[in-house]
Amino acid sequence: MNGNQACAEGSLAAGCRFLGFYPIQPCFEIVQHFADRCVDVDGTFIQMEDEISALAAVLGASWAGKKAMTVTSGPGFSLMMEHVGLGVMLETPCVIIESQRFGPSEGYPTQAGSGDVMQSRWGSHGDYEIITLSPNCPQEMFDLTVRAFNLSERYRLPVVVLADKAVGSMVEAVIIPKAEDLRLKKRKRYSGPKGKYLPYEYDKDLVPWMVKAGQGYRFHVTGLTHDEKGYPVMNAKCQEWNVHRIINKVRLFSDDIIDYEEGYTEDAEVLVVCYGSVSRAAVRAVRQVRKEGIRAGFFRLKTLWPFPEQRILELARQVRTIIVPEMNYGQAFLEVDRCSRGKAETIFVHQDFPKVRSGVDIINAIRKADVKA
Amino acid sequence: MDKIIEAFHDGINKSGRDREKMCMVTDIAYDPEVVDYLGVDLFHTNRGRAIAFATGMKLSNPNLILAVFIGDMATLGGNHFVHAARRNMDLFVVCVNDFRYRKVAAQETPGDFSRLEFSSYCSIEQPLNLPHLARSNGAVYVARWTALHHEDLINSMAEALPQAGFKLIEVISPKPELLEFFYLNSEIKHGEDTAKVGIEEDKKIVVGKFVERERETFIDAYNKQHYKVLGDKFIKIAAE
Repeated sequence: MNGNQACAEGSLAAGCRFLGFYPIQPCFEIVQHFADRCVDVDGTFIQMEDEISALAAVLGASWAGKKAMTVTSGPGFSLMMEHVGLGVMLETPCVIIESQRFGPSEGYPTQAGSGDVMQSRWGSHGDYEIITLSPNCPQEMFDLTVRAFNLSERYRLPVVVLADKAVGSMVEAVIIPKAEDLRLKKRKRYSGPKGKYLPYEYDKDLVPWMVKAGQGYRFHVTGLTHDEKGYPVMNAKCQEWNVHRIINKVRLFSDDIIDYEEGYTEDAEVLVVCYGSVSRAAVRAVRQVRKEGIRAGFFRLKTLWPFPEQRILELARQVRTIIVPEMNYGQAFLEVDRCSRGKAETIFVHQDFPKVRSGVDIINAIRKADVKA
Repeated sequence: MDKIIEAFHDGINKSGRDREKMCMVTDIAYDPEVVDYLGVDLFHTNRGRAIAFATGMKLSNPNLILAVFIGDMATLGGNHFVHAARRNMDLFVVCVNDFRYRKVAAQETPGDFSRLEFSSYCSIEQPLNLPHLARSNGAVYVARWTALHHEDLINSMAEALPQAGFKLIEVISPKPELLEFFYLNSEIKHGEDTAKVGIEEDKKIVVGKFVERERETFIDAYNKQHYKVLGDKFIKIAAE
């Protein structure tokens, strides 16, 4: 099956039962597959009037008790930004599948790109932390979609799966595990007396307990700065209590969230940091230059945000050069550059889709870095 | 505003609907403390987006009774309003029209006809005829009252709440010292053609129940179509 179908299957396997969307390419196949399959379970879907309302409906569906997601691409993701902020502030578990296309504005809808890396982190206003995952094959479209639901339920925030057009339409064998073998995280539910429920009271993991709407808990939630009762409170103390915690609940647990794959890094002198569909060419390029005797290694990001700062710094101390190939004009590169703190030379390699397949630019960049040494 | 919440409180009692299943979805202009005593769950969402948020809630759990209270509806939420009415989503919508964004008093809303007296400069724009917009897009219940038509408002709310489909009650509620002026300058015309109820300068405000009809809701249409294609394999969206 292809990546888009694997993603829809992953969401259903993870227990997603609501999809709010507005049609957009190149990810509409996810919607079609979900809509066909969700009627076998008790899933529901709705085409909203725009992406703003699509994510609003997803947040509402999540509060009403279902696992929910939306599917979009760059232009739609831009519209969703105000509700990414609301999702973070209300601490609402939900998943956003974003299939990236090339260019700003409407851009090049049928061309893969990865220009939304920074948008997924910083797109909404104000300070917040978010989790972004980056699959590189149909199997990962399945696995990381399941993981995205688990993370969103665990940390109570919107999680973005940053796929792209290439991964979505790539056809490969996908192994779907049996339902009993999937480890699904359950939402942290409140089970105390009804009168005592405080929607933003939390414990050690910094995540508050959640209840379903319409069960007599009489609770309030608001996108304004709020206290533990969910009432708006406008003072500096409450702002600190409220916003610092929603940042810390990700930052302090980032080791549990961050996931990456490394190859040939033990003795590497040139390191290729990659993610998404470009990583397929990058890994192949590293294997090829190894045959030529160049000591190259790769570091593939499965979680883009939070960024694996510590590990990048460790590797930067070890290697001489870090190469970052991306299908944009330098986004994750900036982060790699920052995290390496000048310990290694950092080189950006721009890729556009037709070139990605051959990986020739990456191979040349590695050779050049090796010769320079 | 308190008057409208009070009417809503009495309206729920009179309609006999279960408060525990009721969720109130609003945009940022509503103080949670004011609605606290209603005994319902409150969702304070982004400005203008309450209808979209409530749509997701209703589809996720059809048992819920959704009451949407909004002021920003005609601008930011205009599109959501039109499409929810078109789909006939089962929502009870109260639009509190104060001709002003309540918390930022000097700004105009599309409901404005401020050639009256509360603006230093006149509004030059035509105010929006919300009942007509709702009716033409398929709302099943449309009424308008001023905040001082207290009993009528309670009856209207009690009447609309149990109905299935998109219900709109517009409440004219400007600043307190003008309430009486609007109350005295209104006339009740039940069943009036909504094309003729636009708010205009030097004319009386037409209030009353304009529309009451039945129409298939989104959930009914969704169930019907999928059942037609899939038969017994399909699991219907249904309230318990």
